[in-house]
Amino acid sequence: MKKTSINKISDLAAELLGKGTLVAPVKEDAGFNFREISNAGQVDLNFYNTLMSPKSAFFPQTEDFVRYDKNKSVLDAQCVDLNLKPVFLFGVRPCDAKSFQIMDIHFSGTGVVDPYWKKRREATTVFGYAFDINTPADGADFYSTLNIGAADPEGSDVFMMKRGDELLLKAVTPKGETLLASLTSLADASADEQKYFDDTVAAGRDFKTRFTCVDDKVIAKKLEDLFHKTEFWEKISDACLSCGACTFVCPTCYCFDICDETLFSKGVRRRVWDACMFTDFTLEASGHNPRTKVYQRLRQKICHKYSFHVRKYGVISCVGCGRCTRNCPVNIDIFSIVDEALKA
Amino acid sequence: MDFEPKILGIACNWCTYTGADLAGTTRLQYPQNLRVVRVMCSSRINPSFIFRAFQLGADGVLVGGCHPGDCHYNTGNLYARRRLAVTRKILEFAGIEPGRFRVEWISASEGNKFAEVVTEFTEQVRNLGPQTKFKIEQLPTPEKI
Amino acid sequence: MSINFKQIEEKLKSEATKLLEEGKVGVVLAYGKGYDENHPLPFVARKASDVENIVFNEYCTANMARYIVRYPRGTKIAIAVKAADSRAVIQLIQEDKVKREDLVILGIPAYGMKNAKTGEVVDSKTTCGMYNPVIYDTLLGEEVHGQSVVSPYDVLAEYEAMDKEARWAFWKKELDKCIRCYACRKACPMCYCDPCFIDQNKPKWGEKSPESHGNLMYHLTRFHHLAGRCIDCGECSRACPVDIPLYLFHKKVAKDCEEMFGQAAGMSIEDKPALVNFRVEDSDKILE
Ligand code: SF4
Ligand code: SF4
Ligand code: FES
Repeated sequence: MKKTSINKISDLAAELLGKGTLVAPVKEDAGFNFREISNAGQVDLNFYNTLMSPKSAFFPQTEDFVRYDKNKSVLDAQCVDLNLKPVFLFGVRPCDAKSFQIMDIHFSGTGVVDPYWKKRREATTVFGYAFDINTPADGADFYSTLNIGAADPEGSDVFMMKRGDELLLKAVTPKGETLLASLTSLADASADEQKYFDDTVAAGRDFKTRFTCVDDKVIAKKLEDLFHKTEFWEKISDACLSCGACTFVCPTCYCFDICDETLFSKGVRRRVWDACMFTDFTLEASGHNPRTKVYQRLRQKICHKYSFHVRKYGVISCVGCGRCTRNCPVNIDIFSIVDEALKA
Repeated sequence: MDFEPKILGIACNWCTYTGADLAGTTRLQYPQNLRVVRVMCSSRINPSFIFRAFQLGADGVLVGGCHPGDCHYNTGNLYARRRLAVTRKILEFAGIEPGRFRVEWISASEGNKFAEVVTEFTEQVRNLGPQTKFKIEQLPTPEKI
Repeated sequence: MSINFKQIEEKLKSEATKLLEEGKVGVVLAYGKGYDENHPLPFVARKASDVENIVFNEYCTANMARYIVRYPRGTKIAIAVKAADSRAVIQLIQEDKVKREDLVILGIPAYGMKNAKTGEVVDSKTTCGMYNPVIYDTLLGEEVHGQSVVSPYDVLAEYEAMDKEARWAFWKKELDKCIRCYACRKACPMCYCDPCFIDQNKPKWGEKSPESHGNLMYHLTRFHHLAGRCIDCGECSRACPVDIPLYLFHKKVAKDCEEMFGQAAGMSIEDKPALVNFRVEDSDKILE
């Protein structure tokens, strides 16, 4: 286990910058966001959580696949290849680190491997960063409800936590181990600090956010039973605007659209995020749209995360980071809906 | 090299376009920077055409229609006048020089006026230099993250 | 004098109960409990027993007018409106999206409303800054008088004074942030088109991916489509997760329309929206 002092964090950042690309939270107008760091001094760990989720490190909002020229032959079209330097994704909260494992199911776990996701994932070392368990959680978070600890190292390669003015770092995976061993700006941690680290990880499991823990299977079953109760869904979607804010900030929403953008004869075929909340998401070429109503779309979103996903992959596709709740223009809270469903 | 502005002209079928024809048949000289698109009426012009033209590289946009009261469809240009006035304000607030966008009423018999307006507008845009703010230089590449 | 939110809530509840019990309306569009005090939800009461969930506090900024178009024509709707919201209702009536006789308008005079995300007071900087609803059947509370009236266009001075280059730099920076979640258009009471121009593929008006050019096309066209119709409720900007000050552009266009056409949006049900109207004596000066 290693440590460094918080005010020397820029030394660590500089060392990582020397080894590859560093992506860390940066303060912007509307809040913190993960951005590529160009200057070691930019790294700032005084954030609660980022506005946008770190999924864009592996699944950027826009990903180019093919570039072409309409005046040339199809054979001249160029596949866009990724040539990545090692990437260090720095300061990922435990709930978000967990989200990468859920996303892995879709982009590589089911047998169909997305080469872009895979390459990005392989090139990246995730530095998890514990929530401060001595201050209460943000009113929108509910990760503990989904069995994620406030200092859960799962999903990270290296896990970090603050202790006073010190930053403790512990390797979680072999990848993290090799990296930590090669970093010279870090000092070895004492036995006392080791103990503190383990105690905090354990204490983080008892840290409570909103709601009480419920079994995945129970939620999944209940939502399945409710699926055809249109009245229930209509009621909960009365406020929903059907915009895409919740899905775009969500770390586990992975729907996308493939579209062509052209400028005169030049074109690019790219993947961009799409959202199940958009009216045209399910619009078919025939003109038929199976989900024209807001309640159908919101039902899809909730049932997909908490019911279908559990049935198919055995895990809820939500990590309780609270981003959708924080960013909903009309204050809809996704877990309150699940809670209501359980009571219905 | 001298800057030759690219100017998009959108002309209504019944007046300005015919006026342009007249300018041609009477062999009036005017700069060749204008590329004219014919529409049935000035009110057919969707303001997005103008935004898009600037994005696709126009240095100036000239809209021509019948004189108010003379529109083939009676009131088309009276709606267009209000609408395009707003377009102009939007361009201006976004930071485009208002001199790059102009609306003129040119009747079918005003070949002279057509040539004059085009000459004058071309010079005006030439003096403003290339329009780079809206222009899409190349297909964007996605941001790093 | 300050606004008695509790009293308004009580009146809202009793009006809603009365209307629903007497069968005068099918739905009451109001505010309900959210996941905490500071985050009330837009709420629809359909039966008298739903009414107990209604709340009204300083965080009830949502403009309920945007939900009107969701109900089939002819549905009798009661709607709680603050000043700007009432203008949205008028504008919707002008655009024949709803009939005056199908609405029961419950007016709420208010000021000091707060943005739930930032806690900031919502005033003439980001909205029209009016206190009293322009139209109502029942007023819940007393008309506000004696509060200072600030022009909603005052905030523009700084931007109008900028030179073109600086203004372009400002808008480019702001619009580049857009992630195209479309919360702005969905939050807007006047954005009810289906499909929206930006979702169309033939013709494709702008790039679908979130980059400068598509963002510019989306926003400029949206500003244009709202010209003479935007009632300055500020919902678009409050909805935006990346805090783009869309209200500035909307205000500017509204101001220009008011100057050129002599009419502000949503002030009288007798008006016609400025851009689907004309006067023969409109001057060519507006094009200069
Ligand atoms: S554009 Fe914005 S301020 Fe104007 S009516 Fe729509 S939501 Fe309200
Ligand atoms: S709400 Fe903000 S981020 Fe979303 S589309 Fe509108 S301007 Fe863009
Ligand atoms: S036909 Fe010429 S402007 Fe309408």
